[in-house]
Amino acid sequence: MHVPDGVLPLWLVLTMLGISAVFLFASVKMVNRKFDDRLVPYMGVLAAVIFAAQLVNFPVPPFSSGHLVGSALLAIMLGPWAGMLIIALVLFVQALYGDGGILAYGLNFFNMGVLGCFAGWAIAILIFKWLTKVTEEKKSVLVATAISSFFTTIIAAFALGLELLSVEGFTTLALSALVGVHVIIAVGEAILATAVIAYFVKAKPSLISFLKDSDTREVSQVDKFPVSVSAGGSDE
Amino acid sequence: MNKEDFTKFVIPALIVIIAIIAVVILGGLASGNPDGFEWAFFEFAGIHEPEGGFALFQFGEGPVADLLAGITGIGIILIAALACFWLTSRKTE
Repeated sequence: MHVPDGVLPLWLVLTMLGISAVFLFASVKMVNRKFDDRLVPYMGVLAAVIFAAQLVNFPVPPFSSGHLVGSALLAIMLGPWAGMLIIALVLFVQALYGDGGILAYGLNFFNMGVLGCFAGWAIAILIFKWLTKVTEEKKSVLVATAISSFFTTIIAAFALGLELLSVEGFTTLALSALVGVHVIIAVGEAILATAVIAYFVKAKPSLISFLKDSDTREVSQVDKFPVSVSAGGSDE
Repeated sequence: MNKEDFTKFVIPALIVIIAIIAVVILGGLASGNPDGFEWAFFEFAGIHEPEGGFALFQFGEGPVADLLAGITGIGIILIAALACFWLTSRKTE
């Protein structure tokens, strides 16, 4: 899903750079308000995990492949703002390697970071809230992770497809093919993200923002969901 | 961030991540097919793929070069994330 430079119109990549800069600035402000320095080592390791997971492509038979994006996973663990900041760092280092363009950085960040984290977090929190009425928190967060990772991947692919329609030759049929292949990739994303969350549920549950007594609760105050969304997380 | 957190959590996690990446890359377990975007855009839609592009780090071809690039990237992202979150988080002391 990493778009290189030179394929999309300049007006679009510059617009997306501007939009992404606003979200990046907001994420830095939110992290400063909500996180303290005791969590820094975990943030560093999570960034390394996401970077490593994006290095390795799993096969999508017979002709394509996919890799973990991790936006929903990060949003569930740390909340959307910190998740966004990690995705921003990962995409920046990848761009230095030529994986995704420098000019297209804003567009890639918007699709995988902003949209991925907010959509992943919103879907997951709705499912989590509903499931906790019928089962325990830890099972609920696993199911919420799987479903939200699946749909977030498809939503991000659809958004990318809409942006690609600005390129001559990219038709709605190609958009359907793009979304179609990402439905299969989304299954892999859901499995990998759920496996990572399952590990943390067992090893370090305090790092999952949805769970009670979490160290990373940030804007993910489940009981104050509508307030968090409308007020940008001012729920201290 | 104290030294204990670093030695108890960061270093072991880093070793595990690098070990997994090494097994996957050197074992040829990763797919070489184009990813979903590349397939739909360059192959299905038939749009011309631009040559090269900007890349600050290049390690050549082959699994060893891929592994070296991966380990370097993991090191860079870890340092960048630690620095970034250290600068942006609230200080407890």
